[in-house]
Parts: sequence; C-alpha cells; structure tokens
Amino acid sequence: MTMFDVWVQGSSAKAVGWTLIHSLWEGAVVALALAIVLGVARSSRVRYWAACFAMIAMLGGFGATFYRVMPRETGIAPKVLVPAAAVALAVDDAPIGITGARWEFSDLLPWLAPVWMAGVLLFQLRCLASWIAAGRLRRRGVCGVSVAWIARLDGLRTRLRMTKPVMLLESCFLDVPVVIGHLRPVILVPVGLLAGLPVAQIESILLHELAHIRRADYLVNLMQTLVEGLLFYHPAVWWISGVMRAERENCCDDLAVATSGDAHEYATALAALAETRWAVSEAALAANGGNLVKRIRRVLAQPEGPRAAMAPAVSAGVLVVTCAVALAAWQTPQQNGPAIVPVIPVAQAPAIEPAAQAQPAPVASPQLVARPRTLDPQKMAEALKRMREMLQKVEAGKRGQSMILAQNGAGQVQDAVPAPYRAWLNEEVVYIITQAERAAYLKLRTDDERNMFIKQFWMRRDPLVPKPATTEEYPAIARGNPENDYKKEHYRRIKYADDRFTNKIPGWKTDRGRIYIMYGPPDEIESHPSGGTYTRPAEEGGGTTETFPFEQWRYRYIEIIGRNVIMEFVDTTRTGEYRLTMDPHEKDVVPAKQEEAKLSYRDLEAFIANGGTMYNTLPLKVQVSYTPLASSVVMAQITVQFDTKDLHFQDKDNVSTATINIYGRLSTPAGRPLSPFEDVVTVKHATTDLPKFMVANPAQLYQKTFPLEPGRYRLAIVAKDLGAQNRGTYVKLLDVPQGATVQQ
Amino acid sequence: MSTENPPRPTDAELEILTVLWSRGPATVRDVHETIASRRPTQYTTVLKQLQVMAEKGLVRRDEDKRAHIYEAARPREWTQRQLAGDMLQRAFNGSAKSLMIGALASRKASKQELAELRALLDEYERKSR
Repeated sequence: MTMFDVWVQGSSAKAVGWTLIHSLWEGAVVALALAIVLGVARSSRVRYWAACFAMIAMLGGFGATFYRVMPRETGIAPKVLVPAAAVALAVDDAPIGITGARWEFSDLLPWLAPVWMAGVLLFQLRCLASWIAAGRLRRRGVCGVSVAWIARLDGLRTRLRMTKPVMLLESCFLDVPVVIGHLRPVILVPVGLLAGLPVAQIESILLHELAHIRRADYLVNLMQTLVEGLLFYHPAVWWISGVMRAERENCCDDLAVATSGDAHEYATALAALAETRWAVSEAALAANGGNLVKRIRRVLAQPEGPRAAMAPAVSAGVLVVTCAVALAAWQTPQQNGPAIVPVIPVAQAPAIEPAAQAQPAPVASPQLVARPRTLDPQKMAEALKRMREMLQKVEAGKRGQSMILAQNGAGQVQDAVPAPYRAWLNEEVVYIITQAERAAYLKLRTDDERNMFIKQFWMRRDPLVPKPATTEEYPAIARGNPENDYKKEHYRRIKYADDRFTNKIPGWKTDRGRIYIMYGPPDEIESHPSGGTYTRPAEEGGGTTETFPFEQWRYRYIEIIGRNVIMEFVDTTRTGEYRLTMDPHEKDVVPAKQEEAKLSYRDLEAFIANGGTMYNTLPLKVQVSYTPLASSVVMAQITVQFDTKDLHFQDKDNVSTATINIYGRLSTPAGRPLSPFEDVVTVKHATTDLPKFMVANPAQLYQKTFPLEPGRYRLAIVAKDLGAQNRGTYVKLLDVPQGATVQQ
Repeated sequence: MSTENPPRPTDAELEILTVLWSRGPATVRDVHETIASRRPTQYTTVLKQLQVMAEKGLVRRDEDKRAHIYEAARPREWTQRQLAGDMLQRAFNGSAKSLMIGALASRKASKQELAELRALLDEYERKSR
C-alpha cells in the first residue's frame, strides 16, 4: 500500500468525498432559492446581492459540511477513526468477497478527493495566470492620455463621489475598455477610442467603468473566480456566477445612466463600442445568447423581447438538472446503504429505518451522512412544480403589465409619479430638464430613487462642484453641495417670473417667464408698454407702423443659440399677456400686407430645388459685395453679369430683343430656403446697329440687394435665355462677414 | 523603409508605438511628453529609441520639417496580430479575460445582435421625437 493509497483510504479523503456529495444538493437548494428570488426581484441591485449571498452560502455550506463530516482528534474522533480504518482494511483485503462483486459507491467515494483536488489546483493555477496576465496588461503597450481627459475623468469621479485615484491609460492590446486592479485601479481603453467617439458617449462609458471601481467589482470578481475554482464541479456555481456577472453590469449601467442622465447616449455608446470591436477583429467569434441586446433594452427601458422571457425557463432547466444530479448522488449511497451499514455502525440507525426518512437527522451526531433525508424526493418534485408555476405566473404578469403600458402610453406612467414629484418635473424644472432625463425620471419607482435623481440633477448642473482634494472635504460633498449656485439661481428666476409676469396664468408659464427662467435676465430690455408709433429699423424693412404693446429682450450671448439674440414679446390682446413671436410684423396693429412673392418661373425654381444638372450654355458671372449696415446686418449686393455676345437676340420690327429670366435663391447651407428672387432682364436695340452695340456694351448687368445677418449661406442662381432656351447656373457658398467691406 | 516586415517590438518600443497609434504622427517632443506624463523618462532616451526604431523599420521618419515627425510604420491591428502569433502571449491574454471587468469585457456581440441593436436604437430615436 503506497502513501497515496493510505491517504485516499484515510478518513480525511472520505470526509472530502462526502462533503462534495453533500454540496451537490446544498448547491441545488441554494440555486433554487436564488431562482425564486430572481423571479420576484426586478431591481438589479437586489438581484446582484441575492446572487452574492447565494455564492457565499454555497461556500459556507461547503465549509460547514466539511467541518462536521471531518473526524476530529479529540472527543468523538476515536469512534469514527476505527470504522474508517475498518473500511480501509475491508476494501484492501477482500473487497470483492464482502460486496459480492458489485460496484460499490463507497469504493469510489475516497477517490473523489484527489480528483477534486486536481481540479481545484488546475482552476486556481488558471486564476493565478489570469492575475499575472492582467497585471502585465496594465504595464505593457500602454500610454497616458491627454491632460483634457485626465481632467474629465476627475470631473466624473467627483460626480460619483469617489476619492480613490484612478488612472486612465490607452492600451494597444484591447478592443474594449476594462478595469484592472483594486488598490490602484486602472481604466484601460483601446487606442483611438477617445478620439473616435463623441465626448459625451465616452464619458458615459467611463462612468460605467468608474462605477465598477466604486463598487470594488474587481476584488469581488477575483474572489468569485476563486470560489468558482473551488466548487468548479457544481453547475449551480457557474450559473450563480453568471448571474452575478450579468447583474454587476446592470448595476453599473444603472449608475452610469443615473449619473449622466442620458440613457440614449449611453446605449448608443455601447452599441458603437460593440461595433468597433466587431470591426477590429475579423476573426468573427459569433457567440450566442443576447446579453448586450438585453442590456440595451434594459437601459432604454423597452418591454423585453422573447429572449428575455427565456431566461427564467433556462435557469429552471439548469435547476432541474442540478436537482437530478443531487438526487442521483443521494440515492446511490442509500441503495448501497446495507453494504455500508456493517462497517459504519454509527450511520446504522437512520439508514435502515425508512420511517425515519421524514425526520430530520440528529444534528448533534458527527455523522452528517444521514442529513440528506431531510430532503424528500417527493417534496423536491413538489417544490419544483410550485416554482415552475410561480415562474409562469411572473411571466404572465409581466406580459400583462407591458400590454397595459403600451395601451396607456406615457400618461399612465406620469400618473404613477406622486404629486410633489410630478410638480417638480412639470413645473419646477420643466424648461431645463432634457428629454432623456425626463424619460429616466419617469421610470423611477420609489421616492428614494427620485430624491436621489433630483440631487444628481442639480449636481450635474452645478458649475462649481469643488473637487475633493482631501478626505476632510469629502463629507461636505456627500451631503450635496448646499450652496448649489445653479439651483439657487433657478429658483430665484422662477420666483422673479411669478412676481413679474403673473397675469391670469402663473408667471412661470408665460412666454416671458419661460425665457427668463431658461436664459436669465436679458442684457437689455426695450419696452413699449403702450404700443404706439414705431419706426422700423432697416432690417425689418423700414417705415413706420402702429403697434401693439411689445417688449424686446436682447441677450448678448446665449449658449448654442448664438450672439446678440433678440426676443420679441407682443401683447396682441392688450391684457398683459405677452407672447413670444418670431414675426417682426406681429406687433403691427394693421398687419402690413406682406408682399406675397408670386413666382412665375416655376420651372427654374424646380430646377434649383431638385438640384438639377449644371448648365453652362449661357455663361454668367456672379459677384457679391458686402456693406455693413448695422452691427449684425450686412447688405449683400449680388451682381449677375452676362456677356452680350452670348445672348440670343430676336428680331421684330427692326428691333432686336433678348430676354433672360433669372431665378435665384439664398438658403442656409443645410438647404432651408430663405428668400427667393426672380426677375426679367430685357436688352433691346435696333437690329441694324446691333453689332456695334455689342462691341460697345460687351456685358449686361443685373443687381439685387439683400440685408443679411453674418453667417454662411448658399446662393443658387439659374438664368434662362428665352430666345435660345440656353441656361446658365451658378451655385456658391457665401460667407457673409461681420463688419468690414469685403468683396467675394 | 524596407518592404520587409519589421521585427517584433520590445516592451519599451511598444509603448512608443502606442503613443504614435493614439496621437498619430508626432515629434519626439510630443512622444516624450506623453510618456513622461506616466513615468519619468529622458528626452534623449526617447529620441534614441525612436532613431533605433526607425532603423528597424518600426517607425517612419518624415524629415521635411525642421522637427522630424515620426509615424508608426504598421497599423495597430497588424502589430497586434504579429504579437498574438506568439502562442504563450495568446494564452496569457486569453486568460486575463476572466479577471477583466468592463462595459463589454465578457464577449463579442454577433453580427445579428449588432443589427438588432441598431434597429432598437433607431426605433427609440423615432419614438422620442
């Protein structure tokens, strides 16, 4: 008998064997419990913690079982050791004789230990290799990021209220951003990602990674991998581990979206990331199972598709298999019970009495061997059936709910928000909340979440969140910056609007209130509270008109909109209810009859509108010159020139006539037409003198003038010679300058 | 530059290449500043390294300007494949996967999934408008 044989036949190896067998059903029970929790809990935080707890329970169960099965040196130890030795002897000396040439489970049992240990060794070695490789990845083929990104990361860290320093590096080995390390965490992003996606999208991804660091996920993942290696033989461990991994990502998704406030941006970023990843590696690893699709659906809070509905069924399937394995393992020793009985007398009493099955085994006894009895196969089947029914109910409930949601739309959702929180959304911040934030807010379920959201909402807008330089400053930020200037200013504006503009309708609801709350006090107000005579400035067409009461607010600069923005509010009802208007004629008591531009050259208009072919059978030259008129208005003079020799003269009664139709249009570069213009140019001369005339007047001019604001425009002109049906086209981008006279 | 494939870069060379892939063509000063932001290094060390790398054919040098501009000779994917050819390296990077956590660290999305994602996002955009 070699040393190895001695050890294998020894009591500790046997204890390990029994522990392994017990952990099979223990794990199945834990997985069953987790499946039930997952069937009920919707919040990913709850689901994550449930999975963590299940993992700990499995490890704890394994340890406790081993502790109880393991024979000890003191007290009861001799009792157990003797029969164990007896087993060893019996197996060694005459195994075939005693067991009657039958395959015995007890023979196999001790061999489980070395097999298991070899497996553990293998998995832990792999874990060690991963750890070293991950450490190498953060040193090899990396480079620092630009100062701007370091600053942005700091800003994001502050938003998540993290004090731990985080390094951001670019790596040439990766195709997705990852987090490595716990004590000195590093976020590695693939080379080129920072430059390749919009800043807002990258920030939302970085928020996700920072969320991992804040939640200490790297450390948890490391532990989890260790436990996986220890209990590698149990399918339930892999399932629980998978649930943990999935819910961990969901938790971080939630945190990233709650902090950035824009679910759509985040989802787009994830999709873009997945796409670049695909593009990078041609070796297409077409994996199955829709993890990412599910997550994006979740982030966008869409009703889940059939793929999601499969998940509980799959987990139930895993469970059935686990339970079957556990039952089989349990029944084998029971069938072989009598064979063991004579050698292990202590296990005798529970083993031979079938009536004892329903009773819990005497827990005090060190032979936990009998404990599986507490689990009746019938009961197990019942529990499984109940669980399946429950899953079905949950599924049906979910389907019903999503149908109601689809029918009632957003109104239903909004009604679910309690009154004060609804008022916050629809009254207090209605002008400044973004679409995405509104959608995210409506999705929240509890008041706690809403309070948190509101806190985050103001924090995102606070221009002066102080950076936590030291930990002493940190608590102040944790409480939320009490002196949030943005928030204070916002409520001051609402109060101001209510004080000044209230009139039948509350001040904040009026147009002036809205503009005041959104953009603050204007830099200049021109008020005409009684209307009266008003001399129009040149850019409004000039002249004098009689007007309703009106106000003009001038803002020197509004972000995104631009410089020198003038808003005009007109009180057409003379009740004090000023309304914002875009039309400078709205203040006129008798609206000046707008000269409706009657277009006759529909063919030419269609020609430009459709972006038709460029013709050059009638060559034309175009020159544009600018004369500054006011600070923000420039007169643009467009001169179109034809060569007289290109014109087609038609002779009638000794008079030669050339007629050219001109159609032109100014539009924004995006194609929105501003002001079309059209004209006829007629050149007449006595036929006899025509050659002389053509030499004397080699060119014919046509001029048109527009007042324009500085900016970029697209000018398109089509000219058609009616005589020969010759056409000429001209398209050019105009950069209307500010100030100085320029020729183009 | 020779048409032959450049040799496998060392770790230090890989760092410089990463900077060049990330920033695009850069001067020695740019490369030095980026590297120095992470760990102390001498300007002359980077200069010498770049000169050696230019000789090896790992980087291209543009001498038109007064300050020479260096550029990675091969795209990142090429070098990545070259490095991944090493069996040991591949096993190593593969095993690191189980410990890395990140937005999409677990596995690659299939083409069908990507199409589904796009459709989902488009639909969401249409609805929110």
